Amino acid sequence: MVSTLVPAIGFGIVTASILAVAGVGFTLQFGVTNILNLAYGDIMTAAAFVAYLVTSAGFSVWLALVAGAAFGSVFSVLLNRFVYTPFVRRGTRLFGMIIVTIAVSLILQNSLLAIFGASFFSLQMSRPASVHIGGMVFTTVQLAIIGIAVVAMLGIHLLLRYTKLGKAMRATATDPDLARNCGIATDRVIDLAWAISGALCGLAGVILVMNVTSFTDTTGAQFLIPIIAVAVLGGIGQPYGAMLAALVIGIASELAAAIFSPDYKDVVAFVILVVVLIARPQGILSEVATRKEVAA
Amino acid sequence: MSGGADTLLTVADLHRQFGGVHAVNGASFEVPPGRITGLIGPNGAGKSTVLNVIAGALKPTAGKISYRGQDITGLPAYKVARRGITRTFQISSEFAALTVLENLLVAAPSQRGEALWQAALGKRYWRPDEREMVGRARQLLARFEMSAKEDEYAGNLSGGQKRLLELMRGLMAAPALLLLDEPMAGVNPSLARRIEQHLLDLRGEGLTMLMIEHELAVVERLCDPVIVMAQGRVISQGTMAEVRADREVLDAYLIG
Amino acid sequence: MSVAWQFYISTVLVYLGVDVMACWGLNLQFGVAGLVNFAFIIFQAAGAYTAAVLTLGPATKGGFQQYVGGAHWPFPLPILAAGVVGGLLAVLVGSFAIRRLRRDYEAMVMLVVSLIATSIATNQVGLVNGPNGLALVPKPLATTVNLSPIGYQWLFVGITAVICLCVYWLVHIVTSSPLGRTLRAVRDNEQAAAALGKNVTGLRMLAFVLGGVIAGVSGAILVEFISAWSPGSWLYPETFVYFTAVIVGGSGNNLGVMVGALLVPVAFLEATRFVPQFGPPGFIDALQWIIVGVLALVFLWFWPRGVIPERRRRFSPAAEREAEQPLTSTRAGR
Repeated sequence: MVSTLVPAIGFGIVTASILAVAGVGFTLQFGVTNILNLAYGDIMTAAAFVAYLVTSAGFSVWLALVAGAAFGSVFSVLLNRFVYTPFVRRGTRLFGMIIVTIAVSLILQNSLLAIFGASFFSLQMSRPASVHIGGMVFTTVQLAIIGIAVVAMLGIHLLLRYTKLGKAMRATATDPDLARNCGIATDRVIDLAWAISGALCGLAGVILVMNVTSFTDTTGAQFLIPIIAVAVLGGIGQPYGAMLAALVIGIASELAAAIFSPDYKDVVAFVILVVVLIARPQGILSEVATRKEVAA
Repeated sequence: MSGGADTLLTVADLHRQFGGVHAVNGASFEVPPGRITGLIGPNGAGKSTVLNVIAGALKPTAGKISYRGQDITGLPAYKVARRGITRTFQISSEFAALTVLENLLVAAPSQRGEALWQAALGKRYWRPDEREMVGRARQLLARFEMSAKEDEYAGNLSGGQKRLLELMRGLMAAPALLLLDEPMAGVNPSLARRIEQHLLDLRGEGLTMLMIEHELAVVERLCDPVIVMAQGRVISQGTMAEVRADREVLDAYLIG
Repeated sequence: MSVAWQFYISTVLVYLGVDVMACWGLNLQFGVAGLVNFAFIIFQAAGAYTAAVLTLGPATKGGFQQYVGGAHWPFPLPILAAGVVGGLLAVLVGSFAIRRLRRDYEAMVMLVVSLIATSIATNQVGLVNGPNGLALVPKPLATTVNLSPIGYQWLFVGITAVICLCVYWLVHIVTSSPLGRTLRAVRDNEQAAAALGKNVTGLRMLAFVLGGVIAGVSGAILVEFISAWSPGSWLYPETFVYFTAVIVGGSGNNLGVMVGALLVPVAFLEATRFVPQFGPPGFIDALQWIIVGVLALVFLWFWPRGVIPERRRRFSPAAEREAEQPLTSTRAGR
């Protein structure tokens, strides 16, 4: 039993790294704007396809990472500017917004399907070597993923603690009206929140497909529920909570896959999400659960 | 003031915390029948929280609330409402996609046709009852001079009209105790005076009210007794004159 | 009219009936009561499954289909049972999903529930025969009534129409009564409704369960018609098609959503049958979904109330007598 568990923990750490990058991006954006962006997973997929195009053209995977992150960032900002914000300004309530985001998700996912077709894709990378650490086996790619995640998390930490933008984002996440009244340029903060979370989203999309043998148009969307689970478990708008939650959910999912069956990997995240939302929506989400409308 | 027949509602040592903040910190008072009781105090004194707790929108962390001798502490809002306590909201809370008349009909207590089996029995079963309610609602609309707006969507009303709708809807529920959360907030002065007159008329008809109000001149005209809260506690109660003279009240906030 | 055309039109009519019923059910939950039930499709799926196994009979050991439950019930019992199962499933899901959560979290919980259900159904082979689903479900009345194939089709259309009328009666009595008005009030402002004595959770649950019953019945009719059921047909995007239909047609208006059901699932998706194949396989399907998404956005933007919006209720002036009740209560006990 132990011989399957320890490697599972290794896989769990890799999954957790991807979840951390994606989850922090999601929670930052949700915390600041109060919009539940269900198209997030599909933006990840789109970024993965951008990376695919870059590597297929012969460029290095590092360039693909940058391209993916840049794509995610720009796309998210434009999506908010031209779709979400107009609907909010028009008076769409929260439950109308969820239909808007699902519509965007469907459109994006199917556009990718229409453009690229229904086959399997993978990034062109040089064959990775294996590294043994403890009882766990990692490929060099996976170690790179973990490294990228750590660097990204560090970057976010520095941003939030030490920059004006970071403080502004925290203020806007806590109380947007008060923030506006204090002279924080909320519109700019919101733009930048989408840009940063979009960059993380794109980055997560690329490292997600670096870790699998092949991906399709639905790969990112399948990852959406675990990402939301991470954001909710860690506390909406709490990036450090999301990092911790990513570890919990990442490792728990892989352990469940090792102990029960690989099909149940996703169920762990699903169940955690539902349980948390139902058992302690006030406790974990106290500021957000009472906010009735979106900031845009 | 003693309890029993002289009081409709008793609040005893009420506490309500939000995280570390003691919004209500041991408030006790009584609401006598047939009068407009004023609830005043500086910002953050806990007045709205007390109202929300009485109305069942929030649960207290400690304390007891009795209504007509019965303990109603911790009851959910709809059960409190069914006992005869209706409240209005400070922020407009009309049913925006329903017409003004429908807004009032929703408020009518124990209407035929609201349960599924009653609805299944069809129009002949619940129509007569509904017609009676429509008549009552139209009387209210006439009294508040809003008859012309009967078929207007409530969401399209002006701010002042929404305030009136809020009040009418509360009355339609035929309450024994009406909790008013700043009924004249954001309303132009002439409409505010009209609302005042309506409240006086209602008092004349025997309706008991508990009203949170900021403008002390209004409180003076309408309310007796007056309860003063500060920092989550009741610091004084009595007539406006008595309360004005109270040292503690003067310290808590300057009365003009 | 040629037999081939008759087959086609009768098939479309049955699909229309199923979709109209489903939209009425969803409209009750979403348009009238404000419940964003993104798990709608699984109630249809559960009803369909129930009807299928209650017609198919118990799984034979070693047979090519392994599933739970089964009996050989005559028509119309499987369809009624499907409604009951839809309702019971709604009670189950509603017991933990219908809370004082903000609406989008509630919608998300429902979405997650439907994803979990799909995942379990697909992966647990013994439960519902895994991803292959069920096949060869006998058609109702096929053995008792001696009709030509085309005659049988029209019989089925008739059955569908009758059940549609029953469902319409149910949604009509709810929406046109004081109950419907109260549900709409809860939809518009839960807090205010509670402050007026309405049991908000109970009312939303009622709408949810009724919608679940209707969804179950509509699923049953579909499965009895096409004789097969697989988890792959009941994915969450199908729910989105119904939502789009409700929004386009007119959320809150039963006639409106009927039009929506005609326009979106039926007319639009059927129209692609006549479009010549172009692009790689699957391209047209993907395009369809894109257009559905765009349709939803366009309507939400320009005509959020739909083609036939919710009616404004007016009351006739001459009907009432003067009421004698005073405005303040002197009734004992209040």
